[in-house]
Amino acid sequence: MDRPHPTDDELIEHFCGDATPSARERIETHMRECAQCQRAWDDVAAALTMVNDAVPEPPDGFERVVWARVRQAIELEPRRSIWTWRAIVPAGALAAAVIALVMTSRGNHVWAPVVDTTVADAARANLKQNERVLFTALDEHFQQTEALLVELRNAPDKDGLELERVTADDLVAAGRLYRQTAEYTGHEGLVRMLDDLEPVLVEVARGSTQMAGRDRQWLRTRIEDDNLLFKVRAANYDVRERAAHND
Amino acid sequence: MHLDDAAAVALAARGDEDAFRVLVERHSRSVFRLAFRMTGTAEDAEDVVQETFVRAYRQLARFESRSNFATWLYRIGFNCAIDHLRSRNDKETNPAPEVLDRLAPAVTGPTSEDLVFAGQIGARVQQALNGLSEQERAAFLMRHYHGCSIEEICGALGLKTNAAKHSIFRAVKKMRTELQPLVRMRMEGL
Repeated sequence: MDRPHPTDDELIEHFCGDATPSARERIETHMRECAQCQRAWDDVAAALTMVNDAVPEPPDGFERVVWARVRQAIELEPRRSIWTWRAIVPAGALAAAVIALVMTSRGNHVWAPVVDTTVADAARANLKQNERVLFTALDEHFQQTEALLVELRNAPDKDGLELERVTADDLVAAGRLYRQTAEYTGHEGLVRMLDDLEPVLVEVARGSTQMAGRDRQWLRTRIEDDNLLFKVRAANYDVRERAAHND
Repeated sequence: MHLDDAAAVALAARGDEDAFRVLVERHSRSVFRLAFRMTGTAEDAEDVVQETFVRAYRQLARFESRSNFATWLYRIGFNCAIDHLRSRNDKETNPAPEVLDRLAPAVTGPTSEDLVFAGQIGARVQQALNGLSEQERAAFLMRHYHGCSIEEICGALGLKTNAAKHSIFRAVKKMRTELQPLVRMRMEGL
């Protein structure tokens, strides 16, 4: 074999499909006779395939969740950009008001004997409106929960958790009321979601404001392993859709 | 009704939310793959995907219709991922990419037990990607995983042809060196 080996750059350029036709022919001819260059080529191909294989496929429904997040970010950007925990309305108080509204509506209008079509129509319209209130409240609840989870995941261990603890406590109380209402109104998916969130929120609410590293790691692992952020975003998307369809 | 990218961009730029939704849903997975390769975690990649589309939305009026929307989006995605990485490195105590790079030669190569855990491969790939400069990584990923031409990479990253090519060369060499032990083990069926 008289011809010199192609340089690494030439080999890579050819691999990328950017070599000139004459260079391509020269390299291919060379490789047919040169095990060393063929092996180098195979190594490059295998390494690049490995990079490709290492990327996980996003879960089903990923596109919908992305769209929900993007739409929300576009619509709410100015508000989100000045987001602070201190600005949050106490979630428990809001939840109690919503629950009272929904339960009353359901008790008075849906389960009561209906003898008049007009009354029944009015009752359905009323329930629909009040369910929309519930979904809107859950939208806020899930947004606050998501923000808290992100904060917990990213906060350095040295930072205290005073504010997060107060917020988590409020979210636990509100979540239980929402769970009760979701169960009552037959929204089982929301019940499961709220059940999944509660252990993490309770851990923060009941934990020390200077939570130890091991406990923080447990929280982070739970958030990651249970894919809680994704689930919260998906649930948030669903309640927003339901609220929209109730319009 | 099927909308191609150019038509969807034109409608979205005039405020048609459904048209922008078509673009988001069509490209979100490929932007995720790009973002994952850049950041190394699904959570970070999700954040980058969101930020990419939000920035794209704000800049739709600047998109030139003769360009390829996907390439334009990747450029925004790369910038978002780089911003995200810088912000993450500022916040965390994790070693910076250059530190990982310095540590890499000390790794003698995975044993056969390592390969029992598929995650090891992902971790090593990410370590190799972290060892690339931002420019190398961007050019490399655009060329090999998103099918961008050298001209498109030059346009997206503001590079001259030779600089783009050399970034890719260096990136491929580094990836090959870093991943060679795993490649050998896989080829030899260990």
